[in-house]
Amino acid sequence: MARRIPLPILLWSGLGLFACALFGRKLAVQWSGLQSGEVVDLDRVILVYGLLPRAAVALLAGAALGLSGLLLQRILRNPLAEPSTLGISAGAQLALGLATLYVPSIVERSSTAVAFAGGLVAVALILALTWRRGLEPVSVVLAGMMVALTANAAGAALILANGDYLFSLFIWGGGSLVQQGWDPAIAIGWRLALGLGAAVLLMRPLAILGLDDVAARGLGLSLNASRFLLIALAVWLAATVVAEVGIIGFVGLAAPVLATLSGARSLKQKLVAAPLIGAVLLWLTDGLVQLAAGAGGERVPTGAATALLGGPLLLWLLPRLRLFEWPSLDRPAHTPKRVARPWLRIAVLGAAGIVTLAIALLLGRGLQGWSLASDGEMLADLVAWRLPRVIVAATCGGMLAAAGVVIQRVTSNPLASPEVLGIGAGAGAGLAAVLLFAGSAGLGWQLAGSSTGALVTLTVILVIAARGNLGPERLLFAGIAMNALCSAVLAAVVALGNAQSYRLLGWLTGSTIQATFLEASVAAIGLVLITVPLLVAARWLAILPLGAGTALSVGLSVRLARNTLILIAAFASALAAQFVGPLSFAGLIAPHLARMMGLDRTRPQLAGAVILGALLMMVSDWLSRMLFFPYQLPVGLFASLLGGVYLTLLLGRGVERRG
Amino acid sequence: MDAAKKPDLHLYDVEAASFAVGGRTILPPLTMALEPGRFYGLVGPNGSGKSTLLKLLARQQEPAAGSIRFSGRPLDSYGTRDFARCVAYMPQFTPPAEGMNVRELAGLGRFPWHGALGRFSAEDEDKVTRALAQTSLTALAERMVDSLSGGERQRAWLAMMLAQDTRCLLLDEPTSALDLAHQVEILALVRKLSHKQGLTIVAVLHDINMAASFCDELIALRDGRIVARGAPELILEPTVLDSIYGLPMGITRHPQTGAPISYVL
Repeated sequence: MARRIPLPILLWSGLGLFACALFGRKLAVQWSGLQSGEVVDLDRVILVYGLLPRAAVALLAGAALGLSGLLLQRILRNPLAEPSTLGISAGAQLALGLATLYVPSIVERSSTAVAFAGGLVAVALILALTWRRGLEPVSVVLAGMMVALTANAAGAALILANGDYLFSLFIWGGGSLVQQGWDPAIAIGWRLALGLGAAVLLMRPLAILGLDDVAARGLGLSLNASRFLLIALAVWLAATVVAEVGIIGFVGLAAPVLATLSGARSLKQKLVAAPLIGAVLLWLTDGLVQLAAGAGGERVPTGAATALLGGPLLLWLLPRLRLFEWPSLDRPAHTPKRVARPWLRIAVLGAAGIVTLAIALLLGRGLQGWSLASDGEMLADLVAWRLPRVIVAATCGGMLAAAGVVIQRVTSNPLASPEVLGIGAGAGAGLAAVLLFAGSAGLGWQLAGSSTGALVTLTVILVIAARGNLGPERLLFAGIAMNALCSAVLAAVVALGNAQSYRLLGWLTGSTIQATFLEASVAAIGLVLITVPLLVAARWLAILPLGAGTALSVGLSVRLARNTLILIAAFASALAAQFVGPLSFAGLIAPHLARMMGLDRTRPQLAGAVILGALLMMVSDWLSRMLFFPYQLPVGLFASLLGGVYLTLLLGRGVERRG
Repeated sequence: MDAAKKPDLHLYDVEAASFAVGGRTILPPLTMALEPGRFYGLVGPNGSGKSTLLKLLARQQEPAAGSIRFSGRPLDSYGTRDFARCVAYMPQFTPPAEGMNVRELAGLGRFPWHGALGRFSAEDEDKVTRALAQTSLTALAERMVDSLSGGERQRAWLAMMLAQDTRCLLLDEPTSALDLAHQVEILALVRKLSHKQGLTIVAVLHDINMAASFCDELIALRDGRIVARGAPELILEPTVLDSIYGLPMGITRHPQTGAPISYVL
């Protein structure tokens, strides 16, 4: 009997051939120009220094990312690990941006070294954050997402502060594979060869690292030394790609997973399959991008396109993927003690909120140093400027917190929140769509766009979750996929480089600088419209965390309750994201804080979280105005930094999870 | 009570109900009737369709074909809350009820009576207090649910079902996570409730000996079909057990009560 070629190999060969054909078509077009003999030199130049190196870069970068992803997933025993989910790419890019601005000479000498340093800092940060949690996958990815989002926001703030000079950096950051020579291909090529060689040499430790720590130590491996060495190798590969072509997401994530699904079982097989699949994926994507570009030139960077293709792929994969059972997840959570008189505590919180509001309005830093606006005239002047933005910040914090409480309770997942599930980014994609089709759209249309985007994102995630019976980890995974997908749409629109791009960039950083009284009143009305129905529907929120089975058996129409609540949460997140951008993390943090203060019944938790969210954003807003006076940082960026600090504490204490 | 006097009036009438997922039949058409006031044990090997049958009875899932009637009315003619006033269901894995104390968990059982917006009345309060007393949880009423032991937590969920004030309780493996002492405690409590208050109870149980010593009647499933049904003494026969589990089994007698006990040969 003839031995049959396994189906996956056929499939990948087929895809490779397809990519080949796309390349061939491009080549043929160029070749016919070459034959006609009119402008030989130019066409030859395009062929030799444009098309061929581009294909080489696509293949090599794809392979490097595949290898890097495989190493990271193996070492961290985490199927979600890859350069972009761990914030390595974002860290590398931020380092490049900073270096380009302040020490351009270093970038000239070795951009890879700068990117490598940035990537290492990001990884070190994540490892430090999650070390005490035993590098548990969900914590690692959450920390990675936080680092990546913060780095992106900081990058966007840099661009806004420096205008056109850095704008090209952002476009390039989208991962364009357009080439003008062979240098990048060579740079990636020799590093990939070195990396592969090193990976083969380190195969034994790598195999053992796939086991758990105790077993690995039992086999006499010096655990941390080999772990750090391999991580550094993976970061080096990823940083090279970032330095040469920019951020390309998903290839590093998808290639190892697809290799496993295609039947590569042993480590040796995976070391061969993952880089190959990565190469095919990126080449194919790049071919499709070129095909779609047509005559008008390319508008979508390939890096954004990989996310557009990879996001849906990931969502499809989710139910089919086997995740590691992580022992630390079963550890019972530490339960905070319930407070005896919750409403008294909420009243105290409310008073603290009012005091903060007063301080935010009155205390400020001027040219003559700190001052308290005490006399009437000055106060009136200042309040006209400060009141709208403080109110916008506070109400948005409250809305995000309310949305966070709802989403955490509906999904019975303590890690879910508007930001983590990509609902903020979804709102951004909706906003981008509206701005794209009608650049001068008013607040109403923008709101309609962002609400639709948020609702669609949330619905998609929950449908997938319900279909695949997703636990907390997978839900988070789906959120990451949606986040990447929507961010790719945003990056593509920003890369257009017109007036709307700047509007979106400003939105990404989450700035309240231009808040008006109209926006303040819209936000305030929104907060009331959202919070009151939720307080009324508190019984739904109490029953739903117990699961659909229990809810149905006590006679709750689960679908109605869920859909209503989700609608409210999506609207709240969209409205808040409209004003403060996608990344404040108030929605994740405030519900936790409320619970840790002993407010655990539905209504107290909701009320407490809303006040805490408002407090958080007011403090962020005030700090963002004061810290670097006379410059102002975007409040969203600041809130996400605060969020990072909080998450560190949370992860360190191990308060967090429950299986 | 009326229903108990008329044996022809069934609590549940299952007629050729079947269940399938994605074209795969999990439960072939099944017909049976359950009488009020009895404690039924659903037994059988893994994958025999016990839990699926229970979920159909609880209206957690809809039958692919056939019909199920409760008190003579088709299940889908009940409103969600209507049905929840008649039948309470406990899933196999009870979720961790975070941030709730025992009294609040039991209080959720009153939802079908007061709804999302209705006031939590004195009657609701009474029913909750009574349910806590019946499950001996009065002293633990203010304790947080996630600080309880496994047996206590299971009793708290039972209290929620009792507060629901239904005629029928459906329990999916209520003892699977418990040690022996707590298994006996829960099953004895359930039997007492059934006999004293005339509650109908259908419980999926794993341990055939445990089921035999507490249930009034056993219904044995294999591959989604009822292979045996009757009083425990009739089921605990070597030939019957072989037909259920496909395993040669023997029977011995309890040295004190004389009740049959099965063992694997």
